[in-house]
Amino acid sequence: MSVPVASGVLPFVRGRIDPRVLAELAAVVGRERVLTGDADVEPFSRDATPLFRSRPDYVVLPRTTDEVAAVLRLATRTGVPVTPRGAGSNLAAATVPERGGIVLVLTSLDRVLEVSVDELLVVAQAGATTAAVADAATAVGLLFPPDPGSRTVSTIGGNVATCAGGLRGLKYGVTRNYVLGCEAVLPTGEVIRTGGRLWKDVAGYDLTRLLTGSEGTLAVITEVTAALLPAPETSRTGLAYFDSLAEAGRAVSAIIAAGTLPATLEFLDHACINAVEDYARLGLDRDAGALLLFGDDGRTESVERSLDTMAGICATAGARRVELAADVAESEHLLAARRCSLPALARLGSVTMLEDVTVPRPALARMVDDIASIAVELDVTCATFGHAGDGNLHPTIVFDAGDDDARVRAESAFDRIFVRALELGGTITGEHGVGAAKRPWLVRRLGPDQMALLRRIKTAFDPAGILNPGKLGS
Amino acid sequence: MKSPDLGARAAGADVDRSTPAVFDAELLSACISCGFCLPACPTYALTLDERSSPRGRITLMRAIDEGRVSLDDPGAQEQASFCLGCRACEPVCPAGVQYGALLEQWRDVTWSGTRTPPVAGALRAAVRVRPALGLAGRLRGAARPTGRASGDGIALMLGCAERAMLPGVSRAVTRLLPGIDVPAGQGCCGALHAHNGASAVGADLASDLGETFPGTILTTAGGCAAHLAHVLGRDRVRELSEHLCEVWSDGTGAPPLRRLTVDGRPMRVALQDSCHARNALGVVATPRELISRVADYVELPSASTCCGSAGTYSYLRRADSRRVLDPKLDEIESSGVDVLVVINPGCQLQVRGGLARRRSAVRVLHLAELLDEAMGGHEGA
Repeated sequence: MSVPVASGVLPFVRGRIDPRVLAELAAVVGRERVLTGDADVEPFSRDATPLFRSRPDYVVLPRTTDEVAAVLRLATRTGVPVTPRGAGSNLAAATVPERGGIVLVLTSLDRVLEVSVDELLVVAQAGATTAAVADAATAVGLLFPPDPGSRTVSTIGGNVATCAGGLRGLKYGVTRNYVLGCEAVLPTGEVIRTGGRLWKDVAGYDLTRLLTGSEGTLAVITEVTAALLPAPETSRTGLAYFDSLAEAGRAVSAIIAAGTLPATLEFLDHACINAVEDYARLGLDRDAGALLLFGDDGRTESVERSLDTMAGICATAGARRVELAADVAESEHLLAARRCSLPALARLGSVTMLEDVTVPRPALARMVDDIASIAVELDVTCATFGHAGDGNLHPTIVFDAGDDDARVRAESAFDRIFVRALELGGTITGEHGVGAAKRPWLVRRLGPDQMALLRRIKTAFDPAGILNPGKLGS
Repeated sequence: MKSPDLGARAAGADVDRSTPAVFDAELLSACISCGFCLPACPTYALTLDERSSPRGRITLMRAIDEGRVSLDDPGAQEQASFCLGCRACEPVCPAGVQYGALLEQWRDVTWSGTRTPPVAGALRAAVRVRPALGLAGRLRGAARPTGRASGDGIALMLGCAERAMLPGVSRAVTRLLPGIDVPAGQGCCGALHAHNGASAVGADLASDLGETFPGTILTTAGGCAAHLAHVLGRDRVRELSEHLCEVWSDGTGAPPLRRLTVDGRPMRVALQDSCHARNALGVVATPRELISRVADYVELPSASTCCGSAGTYSYLRRADSRRVLDPKLDEIESSGVDVLVVINPGCQLQVRGGLARRRSAVRVLHLAELLDEAMGGHEGA
């Protein structure tokens, strides 16, 4: 691109290992941490997104920020694309190396460096799992609120890079609400520290927020400083069964209208209930049309009051049955079952495509209805679950690999679902990200002026265009 | 410069169908690559490298069947071998992927013929010689066969490794369950074969054993139990702790058991799960319950993770086996337990060997031996 390729190194051509590049990478991280063999790089050719696969030429496993910086300097100098990767649980193909080159794996930077009780914050290397970060906070009586379904697998760096959401969005917000600062390496090799340990700090553009959700296209995040909260005294969950998702949606509106702000407000439709029950065997009502999982945390008496209010509203809204979990352990079981909805649905067919549209909460019941009629019209097997509290829906279409007709119908169903979500004032992705999978729809959400601005921002960070090319900012 | 081969590789379009599929397509398609298995995998914990995770291995299996990666690729061979086969990825998989079955299919081809690792080949051959097994059992003093199985009730399987190397286990069982049938002429159950590249032989051996035992097979080895259940059906197999909990449940069947003590205080006992008993058969509560009857039970944080024995693994990949074991030994030593209980012979040899190398005072006993001590039997360890 605009940066000339260094002499002695061949221009990057996909599928060809350049011995000079290989030697330099090996000099940085050690030969055993640079992979090039077919079987060695193949596992890094995909993440958790179906139908997206693209093999890297090199996989590099750095152990320090300095090594990351050296790899990026080399990449900018030689024009080799670099796709950063955490644990690869992304659902929008954001970590699939669409143009080959290097997959830069951050999982070896896995230490939780510090939990400060005085400052209510945690500092962790990018490759630490989100669960490890949350556990470190829990161990000293604190809470790291972001709670994505993949938390035991995903890395904190990946969560920041994708602004992961999760089950606590309504009351606690999402990852961006807790990131205080990042250590990140620019594609040109400079190590920057954005933000820091302060809640108040307006010195300069908010680069921390810009990096949060940038999907590895602006810089490689190597360390995260995140805010914590005092752990709530208790938490409790209940569930209500309804005949239809639309009824459950009305109960959700009534719960919010009543002035409660629950920590959990999740729903599953009939197909999801059955898939989860097949896996988790919790004794869920398999005949129900929808299940609403509601919960709250805080002081015991206020949690009891909140649960009573929500249970009452569900009953009034026509719930077939309302049950309250006996204790925290039982609540955890219910939430764990909800987190595995997606893989549990995979039992229905060999390809599981899920989407992530989000609509304003008042439009939730409407959107759910529309998804159902689109599914019927296009004859696709569609199950929907999601975060009712924040309007974030996960319609999931399941079909068999090799059934090309079904795949085409699934794609057109999603296309219509996106259009409908935008019409209702929503967005094409609430928490999974744009990646390669939703890149074609991004312009419909942002419009041409913002798309152009994204490209200019991208160029300011990444003049050679080497970082996760073909995705955000391209 | 761009060769057609490399271009096709880059596009991922080149699918070579000339070789027959190695893997059952239906089993393979169950995985959606969500990665929920990663935190459960002991080899991923060692490396934090996708290649050595269950999901990464399944991605490789797909690439092999779709012709993008050669079966003989050294990287693929390494991952087929590096896997412990503990199946800890199965119970945590919401999509229900049968990883153990896929691994057997992989090893059937990567470890076939001349590619069989010599140790695995030698063991596979040795345990097939039934008279040798009988002789080993007699020489080592394992429980004596009582003749032909008397009917379709439950009868004790002696195993091969246990007969030769841990004969005290079957002797203890015959004291815990007086009058239990011990059929003569028992062969190997074939688990060793199934896990080491000869699953067809493994299935045949299990069927043969099933004929020697007309009724239910009682086994003291988690690995054998899971293999037999897979071939013969779950209803034909009882792992020892399951059986004891069942027959001792009404309070009348149980022999008098005293609470074990050490220096006048209650004995502290931890458990090392058998991976296959836990992950394939769901045997979790019963060994813990039995230990609690006779001692203070201590749950180790890593009780459910593999000890690195993993069948032939401790012979084939000694260094990796010890890397898996070491943190567990640290945990056992710092927990202050007197005894570590196992329910599988491989674990018994592995953990006992590891603790012996450290000159640890912690004893390693099979559950049968611990209960035997509580009954008053004392053979020493």
